[in-house]
Amino acid sequence: MRAIYRLNSIRKRYGSMVVLDIEDLSIYEHRLYTLIGANGAGKSTLLHILAFLSPPTAGEIHYDGKRVDWDHDSMEARRRRVTLLHQAPYLFGGTVHANVAFGLKARGIHGDDQRRIVETALETVGLQGFRERRARELSGGEAQRVAMARALALEPEVLLLDEPLANIDRETTGLLETVIASLPAQGTTVVMTTHDPQHPDRLNGESIFLERGRVVPPNRPVPRQTSCCTKGGSLP
Amino acid sequence: MDFLFSSFAAALRLIGSLSQDVVDAVRTSLAVSAGATVFAALLGIPIGFFVGHVDFPAKRIVVTLLNTLMALPTVVVGLLVYGFLSRQGPLGVLGLLFTPTAIVIGGVLLAAPIVANYALTAVRGADPRIFPTALTLGAGRLQAFGILMGEIRFGMLAAVIAGFGRVVSEVGVAMMLGGNIRGYTRTMTTAIALETSKGEFAFGMALGIVLMSVALCVNLFLNLLQRR
Repeated sequence: MRAIYRLNSIRKRYGSMVVLDIEDLSIYEHRLYTLIGANGAGKSTLLHILAFLSPPTAGEIHYDGKRVDWDHDSMEARRRRVTLLHQAPYLFGGTVHANVAFGLKARGIHGDDQRRIVETALETVGLQGFRERRARELSGGEAQRVAMARALALEPEVLLLDEPLANIDRETTGLLETVIASLPAQGTTVVMTTHDPQHPDRLNGESIFLERGRVVPPNRPVPRQTSCCTKGGSLP
Repeated sequence: MDFLFSSFAAALRLIGSLSQDVVDAVRTSLAVSAGATVFAALLGIPIGFFVGHVDFPAKRIVVTLLNTLMALPTVVVGLLVYGFLSRQGPLGVLGLLFTPTAIVIGGVLLAAPIVANYALTAVRGADPRIFPTALTLGAGRLQAFGILMGEIRFGMLAAVIAGFGRVVSEVGVAMMLGGNIRGYTRTMTTAIALETSKGEFAFGMALGIVLMSVALCVNLFLNLLQRR
C-alpha cells in the first residue's frame, strides 16, 4: 500500500498560537479517512495544508513520493490532483453548469465532453435537471450538492471533504454517503472531517483523531462532539 | 422665483438649440473625464486590489494615505501639476500646460485615490472563499485573480464611476491646468463658473442641467448592469 501523503513534523502557527502540530502521519492511497476532533482541533487547517492552499509554518510534506516545494511553479499542477470541498462551499455567480464545469474548463475540457461530465456529476448527487438553474438561487442543501458535483466532476486523486454532510437532509445524506463510500474503489483517496461518530463505520473508513492540533491515539477519549468511536486506524 | 424659472426656460432653449459653446464644453468635459477615468482605473484598481488582497508591513499607513488622498483639494492638485507643467517646471518643455492633456493628468491624480479606495473596499468585502475555491478547482493564481475580479465586478464598476464623478464635476484642476480656453479646454464646470460670473445665468444653468444628466445616465448604466 502506497502512502499518497507523508507528513513530517508539520506545524502551523497563527501568531504565537500553534494550531497544528503533527509529528508523523501517513495517508495511504485509495482509502477513506474520517478526521475527527472538536471545534478548533485543527481539522480544517490540516485539510487546507493537504489541499496545498496554505503552507505549514514548519515541517515537510511528501505527496506521491515527492517532497512538496511550496514556492515552486509545480504547485498549480499538484493542486489539480487534489480537490477540497469547503464546509460552506462558495458557488460562483451564473448557472449550476458553469459552476460544475469550472474545474473542467481550467483543465481544458470543453464541448460535449464537458457537458457529459457535468450531467453525470449532477446525476450522481441527485440533481439531474438542475444544469441551467441559477446557482445563487439554490437552497443550502442543493448548493452543497452542487459543490460536491463540482468536486466529483474532476475525479481527483484525493478528495478532501470538510463536513460535507453538515447541511443536508437525511435522504440526501444517505445518497452522498453511498457516493463518498464508493470513491476509494474508483481510485480516489478521501479525507473527510466529521462530527458524526458513526461515519467511520457507515463509510467503511479509518479514523484520525485530532486534539488541539495533535494526532492522538484511537483509544484516547476525545472531548465534546468526538468522544467516541474509531474503527481500526492507520495512525503512525 | 421668476428669475429662476425664466433662466431655466432659457437654459432648456439653449440645450435644444444645440449652442456650439454648450456642445464644445460638453464634448471637452466628457473627453477629459473619460481619459482621466481610464488612466485612474488602470492605476487605482491594481493599487486597491494589491492593498486589499496582500498583507505587508506598512499596509495600515498606505490605507490611511489613500483615505487622505481622497480628500485632496482640487486646487492643491492643480497647483502641484501647474508647478510641474509650467515653463519653469521640470516638465515645462513638453508644453502641456493649458491643454486637455494637462486636465487629464490632474484628473488622474484626483480620481486614482478614489478608485483605489473603492477597489480596496470591494476586495475587502469579497467573500474570502472565492480565491481558495478557484485554486482548489484547478485555477492558476492569475486565473483565480480574474475570477475574484469577476465576482466583485460591481464594486469595481462603482469604483470607476466614482472616479468619473470626481473628475467630471471638479472645477479647480480644469481651471488652473486647462486655462478655460473657449472651444479647447473649456469644460462644463469652468464654463458654468465663467458664465455665471459674467451674469449669463441661463447658460450656466444649461450646462448644469447637462452635467446632472450625464451623472444620471452614468448611474442608470450602473443600475442596468447590476440587474443583468
